[in-house]
Amino acid sequence: MKINKIEVTLQNVVEKITKFYDPTTTHFLTLNGVAIDETKTEIQWIFADYMKLNDNTVFYVVVDQEDVVPSIVEVIPSAIMSQREVVDMFGIEVQNSAKGLYLDEDSLQKPLSGGCTL
Amino acid sequence: MSKKIVQIPLGSQHISLLEPVKFKFSCENEKIIDVDSDVGFVHRGIERACTTKFKYDKIAYVVARVCGLCAITHSLTYTMSAESLLEGEVSMKAKYLRVLMVELDRIHSHMLCLSHVSENAGYEALFMQIMGDREPIMNLQEKISGNRVQFDYIDIGGVNRDISLSVEDDIKVSLKELRGKIEDLINEFENNYTLSLRFKGIGALSLKEAQEFNALGPIARAAGLVTDVRSESNDLPYSEIGFKIVTSSGGDIYARNMVRLHEILNSITMCENIVSGIPEGEIKTKFKGKPNGEALFRLEAPRGELMYYVKGSSKPMLDRLRIKTPTFASIPAFVEIFKGQEYANAPAILASFDPCMSCTAK
Amino acid sequence: MSSQFIKAFTNLFKKPQTTTYPQDAIERTENYRGLIEYTENECIYCLKCEKACPPGAILFVPCEDPVPNDKNKKSLKYEYNPWLCIYCTECIRACPKAELALTQSDKKPQIGVKGDRVNSEWTILEQLKKGV
Repeated sequence: MKINKIEVTLQNVVEKITKFYDPTTTHFLTLNGVAIDETKTEIQWIFADYMKLNDNTVFYVVVDQEDVVPSIVEVIPSAIMSQREVVDMFGIEVQNSAKGLYLDEDSLQKPLSGGCTL
Repeated sequence: MSKKIVQIPLGSQHISLLEPVKFKFSCENEKIIDVDSDVGFVHRGIERACTTKFKYDKIAYVVARVCGLCAITHSLTYTMSAESLLEGEVSMKAKYLRVLMVELDRIHSHMLCLSHVSENAGYEALFMQIMGDREPIMNLQEKISGNRVQFDYIDIGGVNRDISLSVEDDIKVSLKELRGKIEDLINEFENNYTLSLRFKGIGALSLKEAQEFNALGPIARAAGLVTDVRSESNDLPYSEIGFKIVTSSGGDIYARNMVRLHEILNSITMCENIVSGIPEGEIKTKFKGKPNGEALFRLEAPRGELMYYVKGSSKPMLDRLRIKTPTFASIPAFVEIFKGQEYANAPAILASFDPCMSCTAK
Repeated sequence: MSSQFIKAFTNLFKKPQTTTYPQDAIERTENYRGLIEYTENECIYCLKCEKACPPGAILFVPCEDPVPNDKNKKSLKYEYNPWLCIYCTECIRACPKAELALTQSDKKPQIGVKGDRVNSEWTILEQLKKGV
């Protein structure tokens, strides 16, 4: 399947997604993280159109461990689950998203981030 | 009547639930006014295991263990996303056999859901009957792949086992029998008061809400939202085998049952078409190279859209594997449906979602 | 509704859907997945099956008194854990002498007991392998 990648910044991501997202034609798939190196992580917002052949749109931004990713729950309420997952898995702070969806206090923390070694 | 708000938990262990999910309902008298969900009871760290413990050519077997019911869809979605990063071409025969297994899987998964819905309506006899009718489909899958539950049938390059003529005949006979049984069931779900009147208007989701909360699969289609990944992708030959989108309106439990029943009928038609026209060819071809680059793949699992994101950099180990399962993405829609419903209906509504918690927590 | 009532009633007199295992044997299909059988004197010790196995249920561990075989230059011994095996037959597809050295039978594994190297003894073998 084709991926259209659009680079955004932490400042304009909410604005760009608000402009792009139309609930009648598009749906939000998930928020994804990809560890690039020990401190940097690529955060992706993945969208797909209804009934359109092989079409996916990905907004992405590369963030540091201490950055705060803005929340898009105001625009897309269903993003709350994947935002909480990214908080747990990568240890990156997402605005208004609580820790502890999957991981307990005493388990291995941020297991998918680049800095995590067992 | 008092305005006192009472907290009632449903799960993580509850007689009406098979899987560990917890919903905390805030109820005013009998009415649910707020819902809090907890889904992370069975997190196993499969995404991390796939990038640290297993090489890319073994992951199809690992991700099949994410879920017992849609194991084949998981391994197929991974395999197809990995194949798009490698050099090679899957034969048409292998594609047909893959679709055959996925559609048989959809039939028995939908039947499991329908049986649980009828069980939650207090209709134990129908539960037993549907589970019994589902058994021949499980046997067909065993005949094709060698296993009842974890098929390990799909691998990079094609499928692992060929289909024999006697199995093709068995499939035709079993599906013909099943079609009659499903038509009876449609009549039953339409006309029996326990299943029709009881479920009309319960757990309803409007089209606008379905769009707003990104509902998926049968839940979305029951609300009238026209979406099905089978017609949003042309990597599998769905257009050649008679696939039709099934939608309904109303978005209540009744509509969801109807969507599932008619989807079973459509899947039976597709399986019959596949079996009567499997092309000649190899079942497995060699793929060269190591996965390099990013791939994103979506496929319609029985519960809705399943997405895999794979990133590799020409090494045997992948850089990242992301699994987005349908139930996980639908939790906000579930929560929205629960609001405003009677607490006594909650188990029946939950069963009609067909939630899969081992997928969700992976 | 009445038809369903009659059906539910007649179901009472039908045979059960379940098989009364172990009194009745389970029907085995031609594709039945059973134990992986190994023939030592056909093996050429290429270790392809070990590399292909997804759960790591085949190990060639170093040992002091290997079975005499010209191909076995590193004094290795074949070890197989049927309780770890997922019966996917990746090993057989990887084997250059499939149908001779490695085959899939229709036998089921015994119920694993402590003496069968199910868990801890198998971990020792894995560590022995890693130490090579």
